[in-house]
Amino acid sequence: MPESADILPGTLDLLVLKAVSLGDVHGYGVLLRIQEISEGALQIQQGALYPALYRLQHDGLIESEWGRSDNNRRAKFYRLTRAGARRLGVEREKWERLSVAMSTVLAATPQEA
Amino acid sequence: MSSWIARMLARLRSLGRGVTRRTEFEREMREEFRAHIDMRTDHLVRQGVPRPEARRRAHLEFGHEEAHRESARRARGLAWLDHLRFSWIDVRLGLRMLVKHPGLTLVAAFALAVGIPVGLAPTHLADAIERPLPEDPANRVRAVRFWDPVMAHTALPTTADLEFWSAELSGVSAVGGFRTLSVQIDAEGQAAAVPAAVVTASAFEILRRPALLGRTLGAADEAAGAPAVAVLGYDLWSARFGADPGIVGRTVRVAGEPHTVVGVMPDGFRFPMAQQLWLPHRDDVLPGTAESPMGVFVRLADGVGPDAAQSEITRVGRAPLPDPSEVRNRLQPEIVPFGMFTIGVPRGGLEAVEGFAFFRILALVLLMVAAGNVAMLIFARTAVRFRELAVRTALGAGRIRIVSQIFVETLVLAVLAAGLGVVAVDRILGALDFGLLAGGADLPYWLDLGLTPRSAMRALGLAIVAATVAGVIPALRLTGRDIQGTLKQAGGGGSNVRFGRVTAGLIVADVALSVTVVSIAFALARGMNDRLVARDLAGIPAEEYLALELRMPVTGMAGEEGSDRALFAQRLATTQRTVVDRLLDEPGVRSVAVADALPRMEHTARPVQVEGDESRRDGVWVRTARVDVDFFRALDAPVLQGRGFDAADVEGVVSSAVVNTVLAQRFFGESDPLGRRIRVVDRGGSTGSQWLEVVGVVGHLGTNMVSPNGGPALYLPAAPGTIHPLQLGIHVAGPPSEAASRLRALVAETAPDAVIGAPVELVRVRQGDWYLAMGVAGGMALLVLVLVTLASSGIHAIVSFAISERTREIGIRGALGAPRADLVLSILRRSLIQIGLGALLGAPLATYITLQLGVGTGAGAALGTVLATIGLAVAVVSAVGVGSCLVPTRRILKIQASQALRAEG
Repeated sequence: MPESADILPGTLDLLVLKAVSLGDVHGYGVLLRIQEISEGALQIQQGALYPALYRLQHDGLIESEWGRSDNNRRAKFYRLTRAGARRLGVEREKWERLSVAMSTVLAATPQEA
Repeated sequence: MSSWIARMLARLRSLGRGVTRRTEFEREMREEFRAHIDMRTDHLVRQGVPRPEARRRAHLEFGHEEAHRESARRARGLAWLDHLRFSWIDVRLGLRMLVKHPGLTLVAAFALAVGIPVGLAPTHLADAIERPLPEDPANRVRAVRFWDPVMAHTALPTTADLEFWSAELSGVSAVGGFRTLSVQIDAEGQAAAVPAAVVTASAFEILRRPALLGRTLGAADEAAGAPAVAVLGYDLWSARFGADPGIVGRTVRVAGEPHTVVGVMPDGFRFPMAQQLWLPHRDDVLPGTAESPMGVFVRLADGVGPDAAQSEITRVGRAPLPDPSEVRNRLQPEIVPFGMFTIGVPRGGLEAVEGFAFFRILALVLLMVAAGNVAMLIFARTAVRFRELAVRTALGAGRIRIVSQIFVETLVLAVLAAGLGVVAVDRILGALDFGLLAGGADLPYWLDLGLTPRSAMRALGLAIVAATVAGVIPALRLTGRDIQGTLKQAGGGGSNVRFGRVTAGLIVADVALSVTVVSIAFALARGMNDRLVARDLAGIPAEEYLALELRMPVTGMAGEEGSDRALFAQRLATTQRTVVDRLLDEPGVRSVAVADALPRMEHTARPVQVEGDESRRDGVWVRTARVDVDFFRALDAPVLQGRGFDAADVEGVVSSAVVNTVLAQRFFGESDPLGRRIRVVDRGGSTGSQWLEVVGVVGHLGTNMVSPNGGPALYLPAAPGTIHPLQLGIHVAGPPSEAASRLRALVAETAPDAVIGAPVELVRVRQGDWYLAMGVAGGMALLVLVLVTLASSGIHAIVSFAISERTREIGIRGALGAPRADLVLSILRRSLIQIGLGALLGAPLATYITLQLGVGTGAGAALGTVLATIGLAVAVVSAVGVGSCLVPTRRILKIQASQALRAEG
């Protein structure tokens, strides 16, 4: 299991959108999904997840519906909207460009500078 | 761009849901958080952690729930709403402020308690006129009337129209008609005149108001030769018949003829206006022709709206008459709310009256002026609390929070003031006897000026508007400054708040308006006082005259031959001659003048044209009176030019007229009025469009109470039998009050059929115009009170504030030996300049308006008189203004250096 890392400011919304895009999921499920995919590398403060979910819903990027969890508990399930899917694409592209640029910069040697 | 719009729409939807389903939102959020913690607990338990420990860890990992909730609310855009939400603490604080600053509370509440009902009045009145009849909550009963588009006036339909519409209209379930009259009824040996109505049998079917006892009138009662029957009103039954439960079937004498009482109507029913007796519509009851005017009303058929009914009647038109007049040809039938059947407003109601919008805006402007002044006071009060606000800001209160707090405080004040004002007006309207004010006539039973839920809601709306102006604007101005910076300075004293130009402008405007209104009120009051002096009032010694009204009740009941209008006129003429002759025989009676309006009484205004004057084709409104040929002689009114009337003037068609000097001057200028021709613009009166030759000119005799000397007047000769009701002006040798009852008894004995009014000394006759003038004067007095109170309290607040701000400076300057007078002047200078400027601006305005209106000063008033009145007004208003500086000035003089330094240091 890799060492856990704090998530970068501004990236929580992208992570949540991605997690929700993989299938309808409740709040706790979003948390578990991010942890599983990142193999525990990304730790999100549990309560802080909800303002992000509410913000995305407020912007019309995700929608919610009450349902039953695997353990038969009543839970609110989130689903990506079409606007959310478009936004996820845009944000992912931005992130990849940034990531490549960051990697390139960080991989630079004294000769390249 | 489209994604931006989509996001904005999504946010608006989400915000809307958050606002409208706030409780649900909060409940779901709590449930979601709880579900999360439960799932985490289960997860940990599955990993082998004991449940209590798992639960504790789940809570710890989740973090501070309330903080997350707050963040979630912010994320949903609901946080600003929480700042705006009224809290009971704000309301309680507002109430505390009312008690803490009683002076401000009284002044501001007074201003708003007057301003809010004023702002409400136009719409309330418009509503009252269009309200349905009490027995018709569904508003299906409508009146039908004519509208004359040329004269912008209403006209009554005729009997022919009633029959025509009954046959032609399909959008109404029934058409009814009524004519009102005064009849004499004999009960228990006493005769009395009773307002009555002749109604068609369909009337009761339309109104659907069952009788309290017996029955209403039916179709059988209308048949020729049917027994004479009558239905009594509740008041008449109670007052004249002692509420006898066995009244039905009894015989009473109505207009001298026996009638069987078939029913008694319930309390409150006085259709169509204030009637107490209903008789069937039959020619032998009230003779008439096809052209007799008739009130017409309908019940809309099921499923037919007023617009559809109007379209139909517009298409159907008027009843075809053999020889219609020019006026009748242009009349347009209209289906209107019942209350509008005689009121001369267009079909659209008061809203459609030209100038009504202006009055409504004016009323709102007056409210805004009051609210603006209250804003000034709130500003002064809030400025004193500046440090408290700064501390609250430092403790985390946002600007919106503070503004909303001040708004709620002001709203508490405004709502209380609105409640007080509206309830007070409602009580006053309830206590006033409008019937008495209107000259003895009863008001229509359907006219209710009382408070309605709709008006109460509007008053609340106006209170919110007033609170927004009076609370939010000062709060925004104060919180817009650097509160934090001021907090730092606060220790050093001084809030750094200054009253701006708007405040100064308001005080100047208040003083200017006060001077203007006080001047007009003074002039009006003096004018009214002048009019109490009888000789000024009319061109005759009114204090020597007794006025007596004589009405002939309708007779010509079943069986009487030739019962028609001519017979009535003949009887009236005989009565008039007999009564006048009998009075002249009486010792102490010098003369008897007969007219439809005596000097000082309100004369009917009618449009009059001059032959050959194309510029005044629609006519000029002139007060008119129809008078007996001996009228001027009986009044000792000299004919200044030409001649008075004589018997020849009333033989055949009337073709002569006498005018007063004002009319002669206005219509003919310097040229000779004698021989010129004028005519009353046709309204269907007996003189019609007949040209009249001016045969004489008389002086001012007085045509109404308000401007007895000022208006143009036209006198038309009227033969005995053509004036009804008769106004008798009896010139007596001694005081008229002593002869009053004797002469009334004499007239009653001479004309036993007639209904004689209460005798009034002519000098005491007060009619509609007088009450209107008194109402205007009273309204102005109230306005003056509001303006002067506002101006003086504004000055007081500002001076007090200036002193509290400069206590330290004053103390030190005093200690350094500055003369006290200089200190006082330095503080009061601004206020004194504002008062002076207001007076300077108000004086010319007041002069202009007072001269324009000519109020109180009569014709040819000297400019000096007007200026003296205005000087007095300036003096009064300035004295009040300066007086409001006195209390704070005393405080300045008491300030000691040591005390000032200790207080502020």
